[in-house]
Amino acid sequence: MILFDFEHESSPSAEAAVARLNEVSEETRFLAGGTDLIPNMRIGITKPERLISLTSIPYAPPTLDAKGWLEIDALTKLSEIEHSKLVGDAAPMLAASAHSVAGNQIRQVATLGGNLCQETRCLYLNQKHDFQFVEPCFKRGGDCCYPFPKNKKNVCWSVYMSDIAPVLMALNAEVSVLGAGGEVRLPIAALFTGDGLRPHTLNPGELIRRIHIPPAPSHFGWGYHKSTVRGGLEFATALMAVALEVKAGGLVCSDARIAIGAVNEGPVRLDKTEAAMRGLELNPANLRMLADQASQEVNPLPHHGFSKPYLRDNIRVHLKRTLSLAVERAGKGLKENRS
Amino acid sequence: MRDATAKARPAPRLITLTINGEVREVMVRPRIMLLEVIRDHVGLTGTKDGCESGTCGACTVLLNGKPVLSCITLAVECDGKTVETVESLSEGGKLGDLQEAFLDQGATQCGFCTPGILMSAKALLKNNPKPSLPEIKKALEGNLCRCTGYNAIVDAILQVSDQGVAPLMK
Ligand SMILES: Cc1cc2nc3c(=O)[nH]c(=O)nc-3n(C[C@H](O)[C@H](O)[C@H](O)COP(=O)(O)OP(=O)(O)OC[C@H]3O[C@@H](n4cnc5c(N)ncnc54)[C@H](O)[C@@H]3O)c2cc1C
Ligand code: SF4
Ligand code: FES
Ligand code: FES
Repeated sequence: MILFDFEHESSPSAEAAVARLNEVSEETRFLAGGTDLIPNMRIGITKPERLISLTSIPYAPPTLDAKGWLEIDALTKLSEIEHSKLVGDAAPMLAASAHSVAGNQIRQVATLGGNLCQETRCLYLNQKHDFQFVEPCFKRGGDCCYPFPKNKKNVCWSVYMSDIAPVLMALNAEVSVLGAGGEVRLPIAALFTGDGLRPHTLNPGELIRRIHIPPAPSHFGWGYHKSTVRGGLEFATALMAVALEVKAGGLVCSDARIAIGAVNEGPVRLDKTEAAMRGLELNPANLRMLADQASQEVNPLPHHGFSKPYLRDNIRVHLKRTLSLAVERAGKGLKENRS
Repeated sequence: MRDATAKARPAPRLITLTINGEVREVMVRPRIMLLEVIRDHVGLTGTKDGCESGTCGACTVLLNGKPVLSCITLAVECDGKTVETVESLSEGGKLGDLQEAFLDQGATQCGFCTPGILMSAKALLKNNPKPSLPEIKKALEGNLCRCTGYNAIVDAILQVSDQGVAPLMK
């Protein structure tokens, strides 16, 4: 039950939704699947006066564009992404990450755009407050931080828990954003500020339209891991997404991208570890060394009861396995690395 | 006395839902959830109100045939759609096969999770008449049960889909 009233209207098109949001004066949000927004409205993290629903806007199924890039409408449901043959073939890591989000009922309505625009989380923020704490924290306009009382003013250590964003970072995806001035295409990383108070660069009235994923090169391998406690209907403890290429006929790495999620205010790339990988033979000893290095490069925020040293360990162990899987897939060549 | 400066409340809107085959018209404000319509406006209390935050699955119903969480679904978003609740599984007081299998396997104890689990299972079996064990577990990952330990629930679904689990009671 949401305890305050708000207006609700449906938009017939993305353009109309953006125009409408730029026209109204009260605090207004887009509503997609609502699986992030509605629970947040229920606990009072956000109190929009108006919702502009995107759910009646028609959208096309995923397609390949003329250059072989996979194009997915931001309104596509996660269940459609996880079951799409085209996505499974062209970007199996994306399908795997969509499959890992929340539970089946949520994936039926949750959208790709909403997943990327989800609010950051912390144990305090995601609880109903009235029985627990009286004063709001920095994120809600107050002047304290409950889990991290020593934080300087306006330093918020809430974490960004999209299962999908790290995958899009590792795949070098791009995003089309529609605003009042038209559509722009940006690298996916440009969506994130790295600031827990305001984690997204999008302004109100800017809408994610589409995601674009470049074609996989030959000798490409991927690995995805979501660490959880229960294994279902759960936000990640840590997320890792690996995309790499090896030189033909061997295990020498020619390119690599590693993105880590759920442990910072936005998804992060591990630039130093990636640089160390290029030109290196990806044998088990080197993978262990790289995973060690990665666990030191990443700087996880303690979250949901997991300490920084634990998260480093978790990432070290699981990243080693994820890298091995990616190398194995790359070794098999493009044809067989789908599953 | 009402505050003269207070904003006008959003006007209630007439929406039409087909719930378990019956057309229902209800007046709702935008903040009203589908769960509230089903339980409080229409009076079908089989669908349970657990966490109201999308984390337990007790409120699962089928919306246009797909399993959704009615506690985080705005009723105004459902205008013109069909809804199936647990009440649709039985007819004239006679339980459906899926419900009989749950009864037989002892897959329900306190029963609070059962209506949601039955609807998730119904959605699964509709598209996949013989689901594998991992498929059953994945389909039910959004439904929490604090009593049964899940095994009896999985067995009931294997039983009703005729996959080698024999009835316990009959
Ligand atoms: C129990 C539970 C478990 C969950 N588990 C996970 C999980 O494991 N992993 C995970 O990643 N998420 C999880 N979520 C969060 C959420 O369900 C998903 O992130 C989902 O993909 C959000 O999509 P949506 O369409 O429902 O977004 P909405 O709730 O509709 O929107 C979220 C935000 O994005 C904005 N928005 C929506 N679409 C656009 C767009 N196209 N352009 C710009 N802004 C937009 C909205 O205004 C809103 O602020 C979970 C949620 C619940 C309730
Ligand atoms: S980490 Fe951020 S959201 Fe959590 S209590 Fe501190 S300021 Fe608030
Ligand atoms: S009551 Fe809807 S998921 Fe718990
Ligand atoms: S039977 Fe009690 S919660 Fe499932």
